[in-house]
Amino acid sequence: MTPLSSHTVGPFFPEAFIREGDNDLTRTTTDAPPSRRGTPIRLNGRVLREGGLPCINAILEAWQADAAGRFHHPADPEEAQADPEFLGWGRARTDAEGRYEFHTLLPGAFLDRAPHVNLLVMASGLMQPVATTLFFPEFAAANATDPVLALVPPSRRPRLFATPDNAGGYRFDIRLRGSADEETPFFED
Amino acid sequence: MAEDAPARFDPLPPGIAPIVPTPGYPSTFTHTPSQPLIRRPPGRGEITGPLALHRKLPCGEANLAEPIPGRPAVGQLIHIAGQVLDEDGRPIPDAVVELWQANAAGRYAHASDTRSAPLDPNFIGQGRVRTDAEGRYGFFTMRPGAYPVPGEAVWWRPPHLHFCVLGPASLSRLVTQMFFPGDPLNPLDHIFMAVPDAAARERLIARPLPPSEIGSGWLGYRHDILLRGRRATPVLA
Ligand SMILES: [Fe+2]
Repeated sequence: MTPLSSHTVGPFFPEAFIREGDNDLTRTTTDAPPSRRGTPIRLNGRVLREGGLPCINAILEAWQADAAGRFHHPADPEEAQADPEFLGWGRARTDAEGRYEFHTLLPGAFLDRAPHVNLLVMASGLMQPVATTLFFPEFAAANATDPVLALVPPSRRPRLFATPDNAGGYRFDIRLRGSADEETPFFED
Repeated sequence: MAEDAPARFDPLPPGIAPIVPTPGYPSTFTHTPSQPLIRRPPGRGEITGPLALHRKLPCGEANLAEPIPGRPAVGQLIHIAGQVLDEDGRPIPDAVVELWQANAAGRYAHASDTRSAPLDPNFIGQGRVRTDAEGRYGFFTMRPGAYPVPGEAVWWRPPHLHFCVLGPASLSRLVTQMFFPGDPLNPLDHIFMAVPDAAARERLIARPLPPSEIGSGWLGYRHDILLRGRRATPVLA
């Protein structure tokens, strides 16, 4: 049986579908206490389209391992030890400047993978969600052997590294369309 | 769900994914990545995804047609129901299904819809449900109106429903649109027609149920939502 085709999320994704706190990966529900098993970080940046213009009303979804590199999912053999208070998933919407923000914990490494956050971007003008992965520059040794980073042409890899800011956060801009050195690398899984 | 969560994710067969950028849909030419997508074998971070997401995203808004009892929305009352399934045809329980749509006049209750068509005070046109143990979902709602897309060329979107489905894996995540059978605007819609394969387009059209089965209260449609993913090991017959 064949999956359904994907279509654009369009410009009218309901405002009410994204509530305050949905961009917080550290809570399993809006009211739950945040997980403290790790280093809290803030991820923020802008989604930009051709010409570097802001992509407004884009929907972003983040998915990552907990601080010890585990997933709350049967596909992870260490599921039972995964942090029960950490959701690892969040959703955000870009504002009029194309800005988004997530609150999470610094993810852990697992298998041969360097710490990373998977991001999915949906928007009017995007017929299919696009998938990218954010890496952290301080894990130089793990990044050097990460098999997914290795698939990316070396000249484009810098676009997948978040930039630490001076407020306990990281900045990660996503350029949907541009020249080869401007555009964010996107993956097809 | 747990142990038998889909673990194998094959590339889509040709003709299923829409053509991008999409002819006739100008903003796809400013948003679609110009560089080729980098093929990545699905790993642990991709075949996993948030389980029990209904805890984070409250579910249960299944009656969009009469959100305030005694004050029904204007238009043609319909019931849309079906199953969320994987590529083996197995039901996916606990999937989160989000639906949003225009009202009967083709207007969205959304700040970005600035068209002059009337809003219906009794219709918001958005709901979220969680699939049951058999993967079933269902909504009472109004048949949406068509609406024009602003731009130089005249283009009307046929009546359609937007669906976002969050399944058990990141790779089973789907954003799609559902269309109505026989609408003359369907073959003129750049978004519907962006899917090259005719059979794949046909699967985006809801199946009308015989009124003799449904009765005189509303019109019924069935629409199954098939997500990517199958068993890790094919079952040998
Ligand atoms: Fe629409």
